[in-house]
Amino acid sequence: MSERKPKDYGKTRGVRGAGEVPAEPEGASPEEGRGVSRREFLAAAGFTLAGAVVAGCARAPVEKAIPYLVQPEHIVPGRAYHYASTCGGCASSCGVVVKNRDGRPIKVEGNAEHPLSRGGLCAVGQATVLGLYDSHRLASPLAGGRETTWAAVDRAVGERLAAIRAEGGAVRFLSGTEASPTARAEIERFLAGFASGRHVEYDTLSSAAILDAHERTHGARLLPRYHLDRSEVIVGVDADFLGTWISPVEYTAGYRAGRTLEGRPPRLSYHVQFESRMSLTGSNADVRYAVRPGDLGVVMDGLARRLAARAGVVVPGEGGGAEPFPAETLDRLAERLWRARGRSLVLCGSQEIQTQLRCNFVNHLLGNYGATLEVARPSFQRRGSDRALEELQRELNRGEVAALFVRDVDPVYDLPDGETWARAMKEVALTVSFAASVDETASVSAYVCPDHHYLEAWRDAEPAAGVFGLTQPALSPLGGTRAMIESLAVWRGEAKAAYDLIREHWEARVYPLAVPERTFRTFWERAVHDGYVEVATEAVAGGEFDMSAVRPGYEAPAAAEGAFALVLYPKVAIVDGHHASNPWLQELPDPVTKAVWDNYACLSPRAAAAQGLAEGDVVRVEAPGGTTAEFPVLVQPGQHDGVVAVALGYGRRETRRFAGIGPRWLEGRPTVEEGGVVGTRAAPFLAWENGTRRYLREGVKVVKTGKRHDLAITQGHHSLSVPPELATPGAETRPIVQETTLPAFVGNPAAGGHPHHNPAPGSREDLWPDDHKYPGHHWGIVVDLNACTGCSACVVSCQAENNLPVVGKDEVRRSREMHWLRIDRYYAGPEAAPTVVHQPMFCQHCDYAPCETVCPVLATVHSREGLSEQVYNRCVGTRFCEANCPYKVRRFNWFHYRRDDERENLVLNPDVVVRSRGVMEKCTFCVQRIQEAKIEAKRQGRAPEEGDIRTACQQSCPAGAIVFGDLNDPRSRVSRLAADPRRYDVLAELNLRPSVGYLRLVRNTA
Amino acid sequence: MAERAKPAAVPLVLGDKTPGQVTADITRALERRPGFLWWAAFVPSVAALAVGVAAVVYLLRTGVGVWGINTTVPWGFDITNFVFWIGIGHAGTFISAILYLFRQKWRTSVNRSAEAMTIIAVTCAGIFPMIHMGRVWFFYWMFPYPNTRGPLWLNFESPLVWDVFAILTYFTVSLIFWYVGLIPDLATVRDRTRSRVKRFLFGVFSLGWSGRFRVWHRYETVYLLLAGLATALVISVHTIVSWDFATTVIPGWHTTIFPPYFVTGAIFSGMAMVLTLMLIARKVMGLEAYITRRHVDPMCKVVIVASGLVALAYVTEFFTALYSGNPTEAFAFVNRALGPLGWGFWIMVACNVLIPQLFWIKKVRSTFLLVFVISILINVGMWFERFVIIVATLQRGYLPSSWATYVPTSVEIATLVGSFGLFFTAFLLFARFLPVIAIAEVKGVLGTSRAKGGGPR
Repeated sequence: MSERKPKDYGKTRGVRGAGEVPAEPEGASPEEGRGVSRREFLAAAGFTLAGAVVAGCARAPVEKAIPYLVQPEHIVPGRAYHYASTCGGCASSCGVVVKNRDGRPIKVEGNAEHPLSRGGLCAVGQATVLGLYDSHRLASPLAGGRETTWAAVDRAVGERLAAIRAEGGAVRFLSGTEASPTARAEIERFLAGFASGRHVEYDTLSSAAILDAHERTHGARLLPRYHLDRSEVIVGVDADFLGTWISPVEYTAGYRAGRTLEGRPPRLSYHVQFESRMSLTGSNADVRYAVRPGDLGVVMDGLARRLAARAGVVVPGEGGGAEPFPAETLDRLAERLWRARGRSLVLCGSQEIQTQLRCNFVNHLLGNYGATLEVARPSFQRRGSDRALEELQRELNRGEVAALFVRDVDPVYDLPDGETWARAMKEVALTVSFAASVDETASVSAYVCPDHHYLEAWRDAEPAAGVFGLTQPALSPLGGTRAMIESLAVWRGEAKAAYDLIREHWEARVYPLAVPERTFRTFWERAVHDGYVEVATEAVAGGEFDMSAVRPGYEAPAAAEGAFALVLYPKVAIVDGHHASNPWLQELPDPVTKAVWDNYACLSPRAAAAQGLAEGDVVRVEAPGGTTAEFPVLVQPGQHDGVVAVALGYGRRETRRFAGIGPRWLEGRPTVEEGGVVGTRAAPFLAWENGTRRYLREGVKVVKTGKRHDLAITQGHHSLSVPPELATPGAETRPIVQETTLPAFVGNPAAGGHPHHNPAPGSREDLWPDDHKYPGHHWGIVVDLNACTGCSACVVSCQAENNLPVVGKDEVRRSREMHWLRIDRYYAGPEAAPTVVHQPMFCQHCDYAPCETVCPVLATVHSREGLSEQVYNRCVGTRFCEANCPYKVRRFNWFHYRRDDERENLVLNPDVVVRSRGVMEKCTFCVQRIQEAKIEAKRQGRAPEEGDIRTACQQSCPAGAIVFGDLNDPRSRVSRLAADPRRYDVLAELNLRPSVGYLRLVRNTA
Repeated sequence: MAERAKPAAVPLVLGDKTPGQVTADITRALERRPGFLWWAAFVPSVAALAVGVAAVVYLLRTGVGVWGINTTVPWGFDITNFVFWIGIGHAGTFISAILYLFRQKWRTSVNRSAEAMTIIAVTCAGIFPMIHMGRVWFFYWMFPYPNTRGPLWLNFESPLVWDVFAILTYFTVSLIFWYVGLIPDLATVRDRTRSRVKRFLFGVFSLGWSGRFRVWHRYETVYLLLAGLATALVISVHTIVSWDFATTVIPGWHTTIFPPYFVTGAIFSGMAMVLTLMLIARKVMGLEAYITRRHVDPMCKVVIVASGLVALAYVTEFFTALYSGNPTEAFAFVNRALGPLGWGFWIMVACNVLIPQLFWIKKVRSTFLLVFVISILINVGMWFERFVIIVATLQRGYLPSSWATYVPTSVEIATLVGSFGLFFTAFLLFARFLPVIAIAEVKGVLGTSRAKGGGPR
């Protein structure tokens, strides 16, 4: 049904990858049936002996690929094609470029031209390409849990719908924020056919309070579009906008734009974060306050009062809670905000409508509306309404719903009363899920009509007013899936291909907004080519601020004595659990805790000590109302002492598949027990309050159970300071990360450095001539620590690009994770209020590489272009190089990491070899990309230019913190940054002359 | 020397033996069936060896991941055991070569088994660098053999390559030295045995030894030359092994003290192992008359000296690290003593520095049970020395983010046990089938004249 697709736009037909081609059958041995000669006996004896010697060292059989019988028109084997598209990982709808090799997408990268994401892509977006090849995805619709055909489903659903239509039954379409305007229109059209049809949207990570507050203050239920790049003072209140909040890639790009030190005078926004747990955003703040969650509203109220006083606005009402810190803290902040009127931004992630109203009030007083946040052209990345969801739940419980369609969300898993949902759904006459695999809701739905993966489908998106994204298929659907809008069209009685539906919608709705000088055809072609269009749209809301909405008197919720406040938060990578079945994301270290494969109860060091709890002790979290669950403890510096924080998104049914992941051996422990799931579901603790879902529970008890659960944490020591009892005077802290403050930096750009750590290139003195000369290129990377937020998108990008295996929890616990790129996160200062730094660490490609001299077999050698190259074929695995690596960035293949899932193997990058057991590997600076660009440049008869080569980590970085280039080219950005006074080398005292430099961290503090 | 100045109060060989009795005593073990004690030692040794073989087969089938090592600590038990066994080997060469050159007569009773111990220990040691390789089936890439890979050969900058040469040289020279020393005794056995097979085999390996003056003269010359060659190896092998560490950039490894430190440590541990083995052989093979206080006593004295040298090395290391002003270096050493593996460090200090001081007491030196226990403790301590140097150093390197722990797995422990199994199995087989004591040499120190009546040689 969805087969009709244009040939012109880079659409590739599904082709069989090398992995799918059956190996040639083994011919019968011609030796059979003859007597054994002496020669053969000796040969056999020798072979047996040799076989005995190499017992267990069997190599994989050689698989042969055969060429196409009929060469597809656009495919040149071995050549990568890139298609602009829109990420379907979440509603943020970032612009992506899909890299196709031999007819299959192998990498998703950021689209540098996209107006929102500006070239970055988060870890989740990077990992979606693995989700495409998920062999657990449904290949056909299910009816009653059994596989069936689309015709049968259509017949059955059609009959039911006809009956409902006749009876006038209520049809409800439940989805997450529906990013696609075509899908929205289709849903409306579909529902219009019924007497009572309603589209209910909710977000697993709800921002409903923001939308509701704007409905009251601005008269339109909307999410403003935040412009962090225009903000000089940013105040975040419980909003993890660099990590998980709404559209982190977009915000990170904006944040980074406002924090660049390359210009004169340097531009560095002032970022203050108030939060109760340590979020990724808080870890990047210039100033961070750990606040009891109940006091976050007090902080916002305090700011509102102070600013109102400055603005001469009558303070609405008395009251307000006792502020958790001295009055001058907020006085100073208010003053700073006031001075930056129209150039500041207050972001609030609270689900308390009163707090959100105050946030709007503050932004209004500061004149930020229209400047740093827009309501006239808002964002559509969150549309969910918790009130509508609550209403739907009531309807369901009353049995008033005749048909329920569920798309993109999983209420049985997401919502605190999932079991009630499951029961209520069973009473509904027709339940249809569009889930791609059998999730919690699909398992109780009568019909599962799996939608395509976004990389297989035509889709569109409207993440913000005037910004339209287009998703084009990068390969034919791998299974018998069908686009949701096609299913709806069929059931509506007007079968149509998704491509036609979208194209028609664009012609009718989007094209008229565009500058109408072109034909629709050229407009469409450009949209497909670019992956997005920007058009002018009508202003949505006038922006008139309704003062009356800000009700007087803020009352802080009282904290129960001796109890904890439970904060339920999304983790970077797992976020809401939607992608929990993606092993790359499960094995991605959390940017703050560095833990993998688990959720846990974060407690501050003091709280843990007071309870006699150590890391890995299992506690029972007991909420009022009888909800309990057990979690292992993780001690989190910087968290408020009265808070226990637990990540959502774990305990998903689909993670049972991970029972067999990772190497199996004598002492190897499974990642999850057979039939078990990864982590524990925390959704039952969610609360409903005043029409919004709350990620906070007060009055929670944390009870020690006496059980233990070993967490897998990739970082062994969390501080730059060595343990005090082992420190010699003057060597308490290691100068691995250098930092300074903005005033010091303005006075002296080299402030905070040490002359030994940042020798200017070319100024190095040595008695000996250089070991290596670089007559042509000298590749290098400069990492800007000021830009890096630690979001870890690069880690997954590297994993996808370089075919890194997933090793499972036990191996990580044994410090054997295989990520070539890790982000070291260090705390400094007091445990209660530490400062945090994130330092990406990967092979430094030292000019005097200690690994190279010690390899006995020359398996790691230096290239003429400055790369420290690892020759897998030559490596015998002595691990001497790893022992002698001061950065410990080499990775050893301890086992033959299984790649049993043939479908999943299609994601492998054919340009990068899959390493065998027993060899060392490490970051290559994406040498395959360097070679590809050099070959292409040579073909064009020119030298490779700046920008031709972008390493995978650099490509995906939303903050542009990683810059790769030719250090020999004085005009290249990397050599300019290498000469920056902020540059220093890690462990420069060893004189290894790394090709990776770091730019000193500059904090906007006094 | 002392022996010459005053006729020993206690003779080197007890019982006023005649040369004929000596021959009979020593070859008797080869001629009769082994006794209960031999089996009691042999069966557990073979069992331990079997455990080790199983562990190694499992390792080769599955991958190096079955060991507890990791990215931060890529070497653990494997290299610890390697250095340990190489060290054990040293005492053999020290006794047979250096003490020979210094004309220490007491060595005659122990040199044969010490040399055998060397060969067996070097074999045990050689297994570890082999099996620690990720792709052991390409072990031959470590050798400079002619191949068709063009310029791709060995990295002569790598200490691991030096190791290969050093150890192979050492093994070869030790084997030749041991074998040459055996020739007269093989001939003795050849002449005494009644079994045709044995006579043939011993005949072949004794290279037609006739015992004529000219043969003896040539033999003594060759032996002296080999002793000179082996002496140099005592120094070179462990020096080169220490370069595996000393030439790196890792704080705690990168020190110039390592070569002498490793060599003295090797002699120290080897001496202790010789003591252990001699005291076992004495009982098991019934050689009480040949291994006496006169032998044990000087060995204990050597142990005291070596212990002092090792202690000096420990102190020097710490002093240098703290005095250097190099913060990571200083940390590495403080961490060794007070960090998470501090207990290993203090076991090392207790066993290597403190306990050997008991040997100052004559009573202790002459109580063989105590000597036996102390010799074992020294070996425990020396094993921990290598463990501390390797693991405690790697565990906490430059970047605190990659600090990690290392816990050995059952496979590693089984492999260590297996290496001891191999060692004792091979030694007991040696004691069963070859003369444990150099018959010809012992006769030279009997202190009796031919007039008392010599037996057949």
